[in-house]
Amino acid sequence: MAIEAPPVPGRAPGAARPRPKREREEEVLVWPDLVFVEFISAVLFTITFVILSVLINAPLLNRANTDVTPNPSKAPWYFLNLQELLLHMDKAWAGVLLPTIALGFFAAIPYLDRSREAQGIWFGTKYSVRITIITVVYATLVCGILVAFDAGDRTKFEYATRWIPSCDNTAQHVGFPCLRDEPGAKHLGIVTTKDFSKRLQFSIPWPDALGTDDGHLDWPRDLDRIPVPFNNVDCCYGSLHLWKGMNLNIPDIMANQVIPLSTIAFFTVLIIYVLFRLGWVRTRRDVFITMFTGVLTAYLVLSLVGSFFRGQGQALIWPWEIKVDPG
Amino acid sequence: MAFTEEPGKPRNFQERIGILQDRIYDRVFHNYIWQSIFRSGYPNTPRNQMLVVATNVFLHLHPTRLHRTHVKITHTYCLGGLTFFMFLVLTVTGVLLMFYYVPDVNRAYQDIAALETNVKFGLLMRNLHRWTAHAMVILVFLHMMRVFYTGAYKPPREFNWVVGVILLVLTLVLSFTGYLLPWDQLALWAVTVGHGIAGSAPYFGDETQLIVFGGYEIGPNALIRFYTLHVIALPLLAAIFMAVHFWRIRRDGGMARPL
Ligand code: HEM
Repeated sequence: MAIEAPPVPGRAPGAARPRPKREREEEVLVWPDLVFVEFISAVLFTITFVILSVLINAPLLNRANTDVTPNPSKAPWYFLNLQELLLHMDKAWAGVLLPTIALGFFAAIPYLDRSREAQGIWFGTKYSVRITIITVVYATLVCGILVAFDAGDRTKFEYATRWIPSCDNTAQHVGFPCLRDEPGAKHLGIVTTKDFSKRLQFSIPWPDALGTDDGHLDWPRDLDRIPVPFNNVDCCYGSLHLWKGMNLNIPDIMANQVIPLSTIAFFTVLIIYVLFRLGWVRTRRDVFITMFTGVLTAYLVLSLVGSFFRGQGQALIWPWEIKVDPG
Repeated sequence: MAFTEEPGKPRNFQERIGILQDRIYDRVFHNYIWQSIFRSGYPNTPRNQMLVVATNVFLHLHPTRLHRTHVKITHTYCLGGLTFFMFLVLTVTGVLLMFYYVPDVNRAYQDIAALETNVKFGLLMRNLHRWTAHAMVILVFLHMMRVFYTGAYKPPREFNWVVGVILLVLTLVLSFTGYLLPWDQLALWAVTVGHGIAGSAPYFGDETQLIVFGGYEIGPNALIRFYTLHVIALPLLAAIFMAVHFWRIRRDGGMARPL
């Protein structure tokens, strides 16, 4: 298979230069040069895995029993990141939509970054190594902090928001935002994002003409069953009418979709913007290096969190504290 | 020095050994059966070396020549090739496991347990299958990173990158479907988590669960579906996409190089 010698860009025709090597002279034969390398690496891997398999046995627990649920039960490590995401946002986003978007993004990369420069060599753009390292560190920190932030009453965020008062359950409308506590339990600040829809309450005066009947718009009470237009119409073979009978729960959408997704979008845009202002991200290729690195780092970090930092009931704990209750 | 002696007459012991060696070599490699398999001897001229690659059914996945930079280990770290090698090892060990395994909820677990204790090298085969499966997932990610950071997805290799993304998904799904087969607690509950994730698909969650898992919980239907996907449907698909993948590398003018 002959490859044509590419033209050398940016050189005046006729300028003195060494005779370019012919393509053929730069080529080696697959047999023996490549076949040899392939053979050696196959042999090395075979030996390694035979030794590994002699030393470490694949796990085999008790026979499957649908009545006995181990706590925690975990997905295989390469899906643990999705299981981790499930704790923080709407399950459709965590389990299906975000992974689909990520894969779609991967597949689309070559169609969005069509430049031909910087190919065939490692880290072809000027600052790509720097961008990659910074993004790995950044994404690790962001994921770690967000996980800790959304983790429950051990977090600083909970302390920091304790000043928000406890709700008076007898009041008709709470004017100032407040947090509902379990009766008799001590007052907690905002523990997880879900508290925005579950425990946070406030109300603002609101004209009845715009949909209320008591002069107040109460969060979350007045907003958790907003009917979608045409949700009561019969049409289109029943199940094809996707939003039949559907009501919107605005506080829930805020807590489980808007806040988590805009957080992801915010931190993505932030790092690209900062690297751009620093002059390190210069081309589309650089933008994609940032995003690709960020997505893969998040994938890995969330898997690690799921593997080593999640105990019973998916509580965030240290690796040495994990005890599996076989059920 | 002129030749005075007739050739072929050994003068001393060493020459006798030499002649014996030649005879054995001749018997082994120049007999009717060997030559019916391998039409020529060791390819020791460039022309024959290219011919052997072009005409051997296994080697012809390769081009006959490639650029100097691409045989440097540090260019690919052999990652794509090793992913493929893991696939081959998994096929071999997987076929051996199939001899002993019946995808029936009443038998599956006992079959695996018996395989580990009663079958010679059964445990070794299972371990190999398990660890190379994990390795394949890791390697496919590393290979994708190598391709990305060397910018090898750029024109004209866009589509081969997309084929790669499909292979990535196939690798993950292959690994996941295999996870259920031992039918132990680890398998059941890990797949239950996946079942829940699939069920969370907007609008089509229930349908996904029904189609992929054969029901709203993990039972005999899920086991037979996962088994069928794992041992035939997905490997076949993966093999087809790998064939396209390798073919495209050559059609795209070999591996990517700086312009
Ligand atoms: C089962 C999975 C896969 C197998 C067996 C496989 C195998 C290979 C092999 C053997 C090569 C030759 C060069 C090398 O070894 O690096 C290659 C190149 C390539 N692979 Fe894959 N691959 C797989 C998955 C992927 C994935 C997930 C992607 C990207 C998303 C991808 C994209 C590419 C591209 C674009 C090339 C051309 C690289 C170049 O021109 O330098 N492959 N693949």
